[in-house]
Amino acid sequence: MNCKKARVLMSAAVDSELALKEEQDFLAHLKQCKECHEEFEDAKKTKMIIKERIVQFKAPQSLVDAIMQLTSLTAIEHEDTLLFE
Amino acid sequence: MTETGRCEHMKKQEPIHQIQTKKDSLSREEQQKQHEFQKEAVVHLNSLYNYALHMTMNPDDAEDLVQETYLKAYRFFNSFERGTNCKAWLFKILKNNYINRFRKNSREPGKVDYDLIKDFYHSIKDTRSDTTEAESDYFHSLLHEEVYQALHSLPEEFREVIQLCDMEGFTYEEIANMVESPIGTVRSRLYRGRKLLRGQLEDYAKKFGFNTNNNTEQ
Repeated sequence: MNCKKARVLMSAAVDSELALKEEQDFLAHLKQCKECHEEFEDAKKTKMIIKERIVQFKAPQSLVDAIMQLTSLTAIEHEDTLLFE
Repeated sequence: MTETGRCEHMKKQEPIHQIQTKKDSLSREEQQKQHEFQKEAVVHLNSLYNYALHMTMNPDDAEDLVQETYLKAYRFFNSFERGTNCKAWLFKILKNNYINRFRKNSREPGKVDYDLIKDFYHSIKDTRSDTTEAESDYFHSLLHEEVYQALHSLPEEFREVIQLCDMEGFTYEEIANMVESPIGTVRSRLYRGRKLLRGQLEDYAKKFGFNTNNNTEQ
């Protein structure tokens, strides 16, 4: 495998989306290519930062309530439509 | 015997108690749907809200978008293919809603309003969920806000796949379906997006005086 091909597979390797054979070839290339190896490590790290550092907000209670109500309200509307059509 | 069959015979003048009986039998079916909907769909509320926040950069718009998404999802819940990823299905509905409602008025693509991001971040961070503090790695010492800004400095097509993959954990196949592009495109966007992001994060690291070299030289 050359560097060009390795870069095509890079993200899929980070995300464990490669087929077994592809992964083996990819890892074999990394062993002999320092540049691709570093890039792979950087990409993994970048993924980790996003995964861990982007704050996940909690949905406000008003939204939670609205969604919970939504289904029952829809049900009532639905029944009314059927009953009085 | 069907509900619709029975309804055809109903008149507006029907006695209240009869309507009540029919309502009860109708709502049993509805109740089952509600139960399933809550189990499958409502559990993803936080994820959808965060995705909506990232797209709209406005908590009120995000709430509207999520509500609209759930309303639509509930109406069309029968068309949801059981056994597939309900979260992916909801995200796709949300994205379509967003395109229809907001995108026309949005800022120019590629233009990043850092003040907007900053204001937004500060306005909402008090309500944030708990995050895992940890690791001594220099990148992990960066402020959340800086990472947030770096992510938002990316062109939308790159940011989108990074969010869907790294924050939401969707598979490439699911992402390809959501962004309506081939898997190969998802791969290359992730590759280029992460590279761009890495560049941004290094700038931030330098700005804040962190060592940007992987080796532990002082």
